[in-house]
Amino acid sequence: MPDIKKIQKILKKNGFGNITVSEMLGGVRLTGELSSYEDILECGRLAVDKKNSRGVINDIKLTGFTPKPMRVPPVNDLAYDGRRPDVLIVGGGIVGSAIARELSKYDISVMLCEKEYDLAVAQSSRNDGMIHAGIDLKPNSIKVKYNMRGNKLYNTLSKELDVPISKVGQYVLFTSPWQKLVYPFVVARARKNDIPIRYVKQKELDAKVPGLKFRHGGMFFAGAGIVCPYLMTVALAECAVKNGAEVCLNTAVLDIEREGDRIVSVTTNRGRIYPKVVVNAAGIFSDVIAEKAGDRHFTIHPRKGVEAILDKKAAGITDSVLGRFALKTSTGKQHTKGGGIVRTIDGNILVGPNAIETPEREDDSTTCESLNEVLHKQQGLTSELKRSDIITYFAGTRAATYEEEFIVEKSPYVKNFVQAAGIQSPGITAAPAIAEDITAFCVQILSEGRKVEPKKNFDPYRKGITRVKELPPEERDALIKKNPDYGIIICRCEEVSKGEILDAIRAPIPATTIDAIKRRVRAGMGRCQGGFCSPIITRLIAEECGKSLLEVCKKGPGSELNVAYTKEVDYGGL
Amino acid sequence: MADYKAVVIGGGPAGLAAALAAADKGAGTLIIERENRLGGILKQCIHDGFGVIRFGEKLSGCEYAQRFIDKVKAHPGIEVRLLTFVIDIKKSDIFTITATSSRGIETITAENLIFANGCRERTARQVNIHGTRPAGVMTAGVAQNYVNLQGVLPGKRCVILGSGDIGLIMARRLTLEGARVLGVYEAKSTPSGLTRNIVQCLHDFDIPLHLSKTVKRVFGHGRLEAVEVCSVNDKMEYIDGTEEIIPCDTLIVSVGLIPENELAESLNIPLDPRTRGPFVDQNMMTLEDGVYSVGNCLHVHDLVDYVSETAETAGRAAAGSKAPRELLDIEQEGFLYLVPQKLDLDSLAPETVFYFRTAMPREAATLDVTVDGEVVFSKKYQNLKPPEMERVEVPLSPKKGQTVKFFLSGREVK
Amino acid sequence: MRLVCIVCPNSCLLEVEKTDAGVKVTGNKCKRGITFAIEEVTAPKRSLTTTVRTVFEGFPVAPVRTNGEIPKEKIPAVMAYLKTVVADKRYKAGDVICGNVLDTGVDIIITIDMDQEG
Repeated sequence: MPDIKKIQKILKKNGFGNITVSEMLGGVRLTGELSSYEDILECGRLAVDKKNSRGVINDIKLTGFTPKPMRVPPVNDLAYDGRRPDVLIVGGGIVGSAIARELSKYDISVMLCEKEYDLAVAQSSRNDGMIHAGIDLKPNSIKVKYNMRGNKLYNTLSKELDVPISKVGQYVLFTSPWQKLVYPFVVARARKNDIPIRYVKQKELDAKVPGLKFRHGGMFFAGAGIVCPYLMTVALAECAVKNGAEVCLNTAVLDIEREGDRIVSVTTNRGRIYPKVVVNAAGIFSDVIAEKAGDRHFTIHPRKGVEAILDKKAAGITDSVLGRFALKTSTGKQHTKGGGIVRTIDGNILVGPNAIETPEREDDSTTCESLNEVLHKQQGLTSELKRSDIITYFAGTRAATYEEEFIVEKSPYVKNFVQAAGIQSPGITAAPAIAEDITAFCVQILSEGRKVEPKKNFDPYRKGITRVKELPPEERDALIKKNPDYGIIICRCEEVSKGEILDAIRAPIPATTIDAIKRRVRAGMGRCQGGFCSPIITRLIAEECGKSLLEVCKKGPGSELNVAYTKEVDYGGL
Repeated sequence: MADYKAVVIGGGPAGLAAALAAADKGAGTLIIERENRLGGILKQCIHDGFGVIRFGEKLSGCEYAQRFIDKVKAHPGIEVRLLTFVIDIKKSDIFTITATSSRGIETITAENLIFANGCRERTARQVNIHGTRPAGVMTAGVAQNYVNLQGVLPGKRCVILGSGDIGLIMARRLTLEGARVLGVYEAKSTPSGLTRNIVQCLHDFDIPLHLSKTVKRVFGHGRLEAVEVCSVNDKMEYIDGTEEIIPCDTLIVSVGLIPENELAESLNIPLDPRTRGPFVDQNMMTLEDGVYSVGNCLHVHDLVDYVSETAETAGRAAAGSKAPRELLDIEQEGFLYLVPQKLDLDSLAPETVFYFRTAMPREAATLDVTVDGEVVFSKKYQNLKPPEMERVEVPLSPKKGQTVKFFLSGREVK
Repeated sequence: MRLVCIVCPNSCLLEVEKTDAGVKVTGNKCKRGITFAIEEVTAPKRSLTTTVRTVFEGFPVAPVRTNGEIPKEKIPAVMAYLKTVVADKRYKAGDVICGNVLDTGVDIIITIDMDQEG
């Protein structure tokens, strides 16, 4: 149990004596009001006590500020009303999707509800796609446990789910001569989790990274790799669907109803669902779902990160991953790696991220200043990084708890509630391992009511959409002879065919918007950023889905691309 | 023995003219076009002003293209493959093109290649526009496609960034179809498009033009809700405190065209950073023997009439033989760019056509051409502006080893 | 007053003076500029380019233009009228779809061959 008096003293010592500290659900709850968000964050950090407390629940109000309400899709019907799945997973990111697949290995009925128009719209598509080596993680942490297990699972997962990965390794550069002296300590730390590590001489670095600015050698971690995180998310979910799971998009959890210590129903914008078990995989909103369920023992303080994507022409900058050595990160004192440079599995260079605390959970806007910050920092690594090579930039918000740790648990208070909450980096790597444990919890809970058996005919395989560009000419030719649509190129920057776009629209979890198709097959991710292909894809979506052109959206409902037919609008006059 | 004497990549105005010129001179010619119709970008250019120089008529872009399309379709020496996309080119003594279409993967060999693959539009993020990523932010070409080819309006309250011709044309087009264009914003201190377009697209419709202003960021989640404009100085830096929020549902970005030269680069053909197209001689042949570049992929033209003219020069030359060339560098000063940048001394005509843009607005300008320091040609211009490309015919017959220089002088207009 | 001539790309800057004797024009490089200037200050005309709907699937709209110039103030009326016009034949570029539109003496012509999609 948390030592409330001790935390009160710490807060008072730091000038926050007027903040009320109380115990709640085994965690520490802070209430009161402050006029600075930075101060609110500081109180939260000061109240952390991993040994005795389940978490910091930071309910301190920011004077004059009300965060925007959660965005809910403008869809209201009873499509899922009255449904009774064994397990309802809240959240369609990589964690929720991995859980769905794991659960579908059993004779368990699974529903996954995701409030956005597609899977992987939040964190799972806004990261650098790294399969982490784990060296930046504290050796005994929950994060590193799941990271190392997940890392090992990726090779098999890649083959089974037809999602390419590449174990390109990661270079961490020493930025000053004395950092080399710390190397033995890093080796010792690496050993604790069997992380392959080796010292790299400057000569090798210079051969690998043209224009490298640091001259003090570095370290190489062979266990690091890259994957396309949103393709992996979709693949996991499609495999789950293949094995009987149901994925419900545009479905937001509005409320959770309990009777005693059990959840009896979940209210969504598409009806009320009656699951036996509820899994919280709601990312940036995982504390909100926890509160509705009755076990909110933590608070998410969103941390925004901005990344820039460079033209494939800049791929010569690195063929793997580059970052700076930061002592603070290695000792766990700083919770952000400071970003780096990654060559993604698709061959673009990705730069960033930075880390900016924000009270807005769904603020994915970029600013000039934050992009400059990211660029400036990574230009410190190599002179080859040029602003003029940037083709796009984006931002996402990390689901960070004050403990900066994963929460993977069965709720001790709500008997049929399981949480995979506060999953930020290394969430992509950890997802498959988290899914295993969450599934074990679900099976335990369900087993109280009936016998749960593994599915005899579980099919671990799933075929992705063929990238015709990557096929050898003879194979490509044969494919086109079978289906001529694969021969017609729609997105010329990324060489994506009509067949692939139709495959995305017709997929088991359909991609019927411009952005969803972009994530599935890369149409629109090239240097012209959809300038040529987007009007054509709009027409394809309309034809394929039987929609009018006016109904085709960029993302979810409310993002329609065209507002009227030209001959139905009156001319305003000269 | 190659399949074709000349393969033209791109069936827009440049490719059509080049193919006709090559085939008229007896070259077996193929046009490879990735869309389902010929005409290139002109398919969506329904506005007029095309062909004044070439035909003495004020045609719409699609009519201009139709004239060439009709001739191409009727020409026995030209084959056309539509919905066909070049994925690779290899060079040996001939060019081996790999292309994909609904027929499969095809290999086509060519003695000469003519690149006519046009340009792409600069994107919002290439001009540092930040904020969110809602629907309603698009380049002018995208809006033009929606309105003129698909019959839909991409928005009702529009802000246009960029006073280039395409932005101005769309300002008028959107207004005619019932949208309200709130204003055209231009980061430079002078408008980029042709003056007559400022008159007939903005003044006619009372659409304000704001100079030295740009769009900094956009707001809105699903659909655009507002843009933030702000003033910039002559170094294009934001001036703090001048930000203004403008509610709107559409941002049309018309901030320049970038020649597409991925295929040329794959053949290691050197590009001129000033034009972003290949270095060419007076026949539009690049530094790679047998490879020509015409139209907007060579440099961004204002008038399609000149596109056709240079494309024909290339087409005629491509019907000839690929003899090794004696190339002479042209030195240039005072230009944004000058095309051609080289002279093939063995195939000079009595007069050579040059195209150029001045580096800055000038009054009382003079173009001087010198050979070994001696002025061989001089022309005066009352007014020169970078957005308005000039054409000039210069009699030049230098010998190998001589120095040829083009020099543009004149009072800079601030 | 000052006017920019829009007849050709030269965009000559004209000085136009309305006097009792008539309209005086200077600054033009050709005769068309004089005609333009006089019209512009007395009865301005413009060409109009737009689209009309068609009955053909896969061809939502076809481009059209005025075969000449119409009075500037008639543009809203012509635009409204063209909203009701539907191309129901596979016209060729140059074909007239509306003769003497709204009594302006100017025809509306189709500006593309409306043949089958290639």
